[in-house]
Amino acid sequence: MNVEKLQQIFAQSLEIDAIHVVDELTYNSIPEWDSVAHMALVAEIEDQFDVMLDTDDVLDMSSFAKAKEILAKYEIEFS
Amino acid sequence: MSFFELTEKCQQLAVVTNERTYTYTQLAQQSNKFIFNSTQKELILILTKNTVQVLASYIAALDSGHAVMLLNYDINKELLAKNIEQYRPKWIVGDINISGYKSENLLLTRIDETSNYKIHADLAVLLSTSGTTGSQKFVRLSYGNLRSNAQSIIEYLAIDENERAVMNLPLSYSYGMSIVNSHLLAGAALILSEESVMEKSFWEEVREHKATSLAGVPFTYQMLQRIGFMKMDLPYLKTLTQAGGRLNEKLVKVFGEYAQQNNKRFFVMYGQTEASPRMSYIPHERVLTKLGSIGIAIPGGNLTIDSETSELIYKGANVMMGYAECLEDLSLGDELSGILYTGDTATVDNEGYFTITGRMKRFIKLFGLRINLDDVEKKLEAVIQAPIACTGNDDKLVVVIEKEEQMGHVKENLERLYKLHRSAYKVVILEIPRLANGKTDYMKLKESCL
Repeated sequence: MNVEKLQQIFAQSLEIDAIHVVDELTYNSIPEWDSVAHMALVAEIEDQFDVMLDTDDVLDMSSFAKAKEILAKYEIEFS
Repeated sequence: MSFFELTEKCQQLAVVTNERTYTYTQLAQQSNKFIFNSTQKELILILTKNTVQVLASYIAALDSGHAVMLLNYDINKELLAKNIEQYRPKWIVGDINISGYKSENLLLTRIDETSNYKIHADLAVLLSTSGTTGSQKFVRLSYGNLRSNAQSIIEYLAIDENERAVMNLPLSYSYGMSIVNSHLLAGAALILSEESVMEKSFWEEVREHKATSLAGVPFTYQMLQRIGFMKMDLPYLKTLTQAGGRLNEKLVKVFGEYAQQNNKRFFVMYGQTEASPRMSYIPHERVLTKLGSIGIAIPGGNLTIDSETSELIYKGANVMMGYAECLEDLSLGDELSGILYTGDTATVDNEGYFTITGRMKRFIKLFGLRINLDDVEKKLEAVIQAPIACTGNDDKLVVVIEKEEQMGHVKENLERLYKLHRSAYKVVILEIPRLANGKTDYMKLKESCL
């Protein structure tokens, strides 16, 4: 459930197709995921999962896999 | 006659990169590798990137008295080709292959040696006014413009040789260029970085290299707040500067209070590329009492307001020579005589602090990119063939259409023409308010959309 939800958030914020949202997708590896999109992405994640991310977590969220890992710390389960 | 006179500062620290540091003597050695020999004044195109080689080529170009066109290395290829064809630079600095040029290391030299153009003796730098393909125009800045503005900045920011400024803005952007000029002329150091504040490695650089100052556009400050900058422990960082568009008052207050409580200085500044670029600043100790203002004129400059139109007028030695729209324009001298009509309307308080109230022409600035609202309207109207109106502020572009079925088409074209992220604009369906003469009522439009 949450995996699809996060995938949708990524797809919408980065304006890419959901099939491209895979674990290996990393920040700055595609033109769509730049700092502007990152801001939108973080805001959307916080909104939809109702969490407030720490500084380090915002900076660390450099891939889709990493995003799941970080959100797990906020008790959002992905399996 | 050398512009930067690097060798006078010999053993002082000049540049810090992730690989190593350079003293002024070592930076001069790097700069001496670029030899721009010619019997006449030439144009050099530098594709800017924050590396020591590019910085060295910029220094070499100005120290040899040529004229430099600065474009960022990630510029759209078509636009680059168009500029090269139009301005025929004798040399190009960049990691690139261009037909008609032979390349050696980072330096490309035009094969056809005929140079039947004349470049004005005072011309130093050409900066683009817009990043979009439609309306490319260059601002012509003289050696005197650069020197004068750098001196003013050194004075009001009190830059000395102990300063270590993070330089992560493009050199092709007037704000970035002014950081380089002011710090090198003050004998201070630049920490060269291509990273944004959104990256973890950026903060590692800031800590490791003991950065003392950080520069940002409004969006940078939004990011800084977002990532919890205020909670970071950065004992060496003493100065924050902000320019490149209006920062909303709430954020000015947040950063002003942060600076006050943490013994740091926060400078809100105002400028335009046409003024090389700085025109005003709020002295850091006044930022909380002068929220929303652009402050006072920089040392050596003078601001006034036109009594009829309320337009803000700047006078100073840093006002550009004029614009260039073709190669022939590079032979032109100073056309403005130190007076710049800013296109902004303003008010002034009894202490001489100015506040921008609007724009004469309808421009907004999104992520540092200047967007002409009339231009957006014209372009979109041409493709959707229906009434359209644009408004906005420095946070968002708002496009108003009257029929919902055009929504997809408008969004598609906005993204194609201006490469805007979805969070940077919104499309609103609304009956466009009109004045009695049938023209769009922009006042009302803005009220109902923002």
